[in-house]
Amino acid sequence: MTVLSEHILEEIRDLPSKFPQPRSAVMPALDLAQEELGHLTPEAMTEVAHELQLDPGYVEGVATFYTLFHLAPTGKHRFYVCTNLSCMLRGADDVVARLKSEIGVHEPGEVSKDGLFSYEEVECLGACEYAPMCRVDHAYHYDLTPDSIARLVAERRNGGSAVAAPKKARAPRKRKADA
Amino acid sequence: MTIDGQSVTVPPGTLIVEAAKNVGVEIPVFCYHHKLDPVGACRLCLVDIAPGPPRPQTACTTPVAPNMVIKTQSAMAVQARAEILEFELVNHPLDCPVCDKGGECPLQDFTFRHGYPTSRIDGPRLHFKKPIPLSANIALDRERCVLCYRCTRYYDEIAWEQELTTGQRGVQSFITSQFDQPLTSIFSGNIIDLCPVGALTSRVWRFESRPWDMTQTGSVCSKCAVGCSVTLWQRRGQLVRVTSRENDDIDEGWICDRGRFDYTDVNDPKRLRVPVVKGAGSTWNTAIDALAAGIKGKGPKLGISLPQDLTNEEAFLFRRLLDGPLKGAKVKMHGRTALPEPDPNQLLIKEIDDARVIVVVASDTEKDVPVVNLRIKKAVSKRGAQLIVVHPDGVDLDRNPHTVHVRNAAGSAAAEVEKLASHELLKSPGGPVAILFGDGHGSEDAADLAAACAELASKVGGKVMPLYRATNERGALDAGVAGWDKLDGVQALLSWGPPPTAGIPSSVKFLATWDHLQRPDHSRAAVVLPATTFAEQQGSYTNLEGRVQFLRPPIPVAEPLKESWEVLTELAVALGLELGYTGIFAVQRDAAQTLPGLADLAEPPSPTPVPTPVLIGPAHP
Ligand code: SF4
Ligand code: SF4
Ligand code: FES
Ligand code: FES
Repeated sequence: MTVLSEHILEEIRDLPSKFPQPRSAVMPALDLAQEELGHLTPEAMTEVAHELQLDPGYVEGVATFYTLFHLAPTGKHRFYVCTNLSCMLRGADDVVARLKSEIGVHEPGEVSKDGLFSYEEVECLGACEYAPMCRVDHAYHYDLTPDSIARLVAERRNGGSAVAAPKKARAPRKRKADA
Repeated sequence: MTIDGQSVTVPPGTLIVEAAKNVGVEIPVFCYHHKLDPVGACRLCLVDIAPGPPRPQTACTTPVAPNMVIKTQSAMAVQARAEILEFELVNHPLDCPVCDKGGECPLQDFTFRHGYPTSRIDGPRLHFKKPIPLSANIALDRERCVLCYRCTRYYDEIAWEQELTTGQRGVQSFITSQFDQPLTSIFSGNIIDLCPVGALTSRVWRFESRPWDMTQTGSVCSKCAVGCSVTLWQRRGQLVRVTSRENDDIDEGWICDRGRFDYTDVNDPKRLRVPVVKGAGSTWNTAIDALAAGIKGKGPKLGISLPQDLTNEEAFLFRRLLDGPLKGAKVKMHGRTALPEPDPNQLLIKEIDDARVIVVVASDTEKDVPVVNLRIKKAVSKRGAQLIVVHPDGVDLDRNPHTVHVRNAAGSAAAEVEKLASHELLKSPGGPVAILFGDGHGSEDAADLAAACAELASKVGGKVMPLYRATNERGALDAGVAGWDKLDGVQALLSWGPPPTAGIPSSVKFLATWDHLQRPDHSRAAVVLPATTFAEQQGSYTNLEGRVQFLRPPIPVAEPLKESWEVLTELAVALGLELGYTGIFAVQRDAAQTLPGLADLAEPPSPTPVPTPVLIGPAHP
């Protein structure tokens, strides 16, 4: 029994042919795995490695390099708050402080008691003109204030389904710079 | 071009670090290693290059250009390197007194030669748990690591494995094995030699000695037929460490873990040192007489089991006994393949580099001939050779996604090889073809397979290499003692080295053993002779490509141990054959004259190898 479902494994198997170096498929493959499981477990990484004919150690190295790959369970909704220069100058710290108190966690990566939320502080997401900003699951939210971030939390807490993260795995997309 | 005012001429494409070696200018490096692809990760090799931008540049990634002027000692370059070293030490624990690298540590040496005398760093340092066992043989100290990535690049580029990788990123990066599981590669130990600091150290040699307390002797590995060059390190009569010794014809500076870690039996306190007759210690004379009496005149009722690391000299002396008093005895050599004698114009290991297509048949090279396996990987990944494997099971060469793997039913390798002549890749290989074949550990008809491979070679323009496994199988074949006989039914058995793989036949009434370790079977033996090991005895091995290489023992033969040539000569006398040898030189001279394969024995190296004192300096410049 695999931890990744057969259709995900299928998709992963098809990836290498799209790259000149088969091992380049590791990032989109991990993306697919994370979409399905929420975070990357050693078993999932081993299965990805197996499908791509790589050593699990290589996959693990890639997964730990990128902050957008999660190695521990996350909340159902993930807040990626930019704390890089522009956002920080325009009040990202206050936004983060409010977010922490709203969801009741003390540090990045910690999952709220109800399992709904977790947050990360990330580097520039390339939307400085709307600073401060954050990414919630797959959508950007701009010109944040402590109040608006509280609203984002509240909407998700109450109206769950309307804004739930997409369930179905999407085709690999071009990734924004992670660093 | 000039380096520090000295003019240098080198081929185009040469990197500045390499050019500098030609004129004896030291450019310190951590991440650069001449057998790995350059990455420019550590920035320690900064030099001043004109013409060029007015800032220091890395000598390890910059190729030379005509009329370049390189200064390693300009104020800018000197300062740049000193500051990089200062940065390297930001998180370094400075625990040299308890670090096994101390005394041969490039970080120590470079800091002395290129760094600032004092440090301005006074903040908190990164801390990790230490040491972390990466395997039974290797310890990792993440605090000492300078993140040069030599170890992980080696694993990836040379060994084709990724069980060792980097976790996290940036200043928080650390070296880790996959999911913290023990390393399993048979090539893992090379990372100890590669690591420029004490981050990767040997657990077998842990806290044994300092480099200046040991002598080092260049010798040959005795564990398989590849015959890698090794350095044997001796301290107070003990063999304390084995490291690689670069020989581009054979090993290119790599050895496998068998060669590196499998030596502690030499120092075993329970080693046999006195001859034993009927359970009681005796003199050599009594023991040899008892042995002779037990095996004399037995003809085919005598069985002899030979060790895989029998030297050429021993093989020759044995030949003399088999031609004379022991005529007709059944002989079985340990661990040998069923492969026939080689083609005189066979492939050499270094010629694998130039092959355009490499065909590997009936051998899991990773296990059978480890360092040849690395050479194949190099030809494929660094020189673009194509690879065809004929083997019933998956092998580690399949890690290359372009490997063509023909899965044959065991026993049909010869038929598959015949079909290969019309294979796409071999129709116009575009250069030499290398054909390497084993015997499938008995599953293939070795003679048929050898013939099929030879025929393929002649069709496609290539050379063959039989992959012998026993250390000196080639030498034993040359001397005609690489026996393959079944020992069943013999009445007397001389078991030299480890007992026969099939066990001691029940028909044996007289058992004599000649071994360096105590083994359970010895309780049945009428005579037990103590043997020397590769670390004590003189002699030579012929490796699988036919190269004769001499052992240079670092440890003297301590009485009452005796050199094997002396024991065999005395045994011959007791059996009524006067050989008259008084030293190993005479044995070698005779062997060179009688056996064409051993002609190289005519020029042995100096009999008393001079151990070289350790020069303090980088172990791997
Ligand atoms: S462990 Fe040694 S070889 Fe590996 S990156 Fe660190 S310093 Fe370099
Ligand atoms: S490949 Fe063979 S000769 Fe080379 S180090 Fe390993 S055991 Fe020794
Ligand atoms: S700094 Fe926040 S988006 Fe650029
Ligand atoms: S950057 Fe040149 S040796 Fe590391």
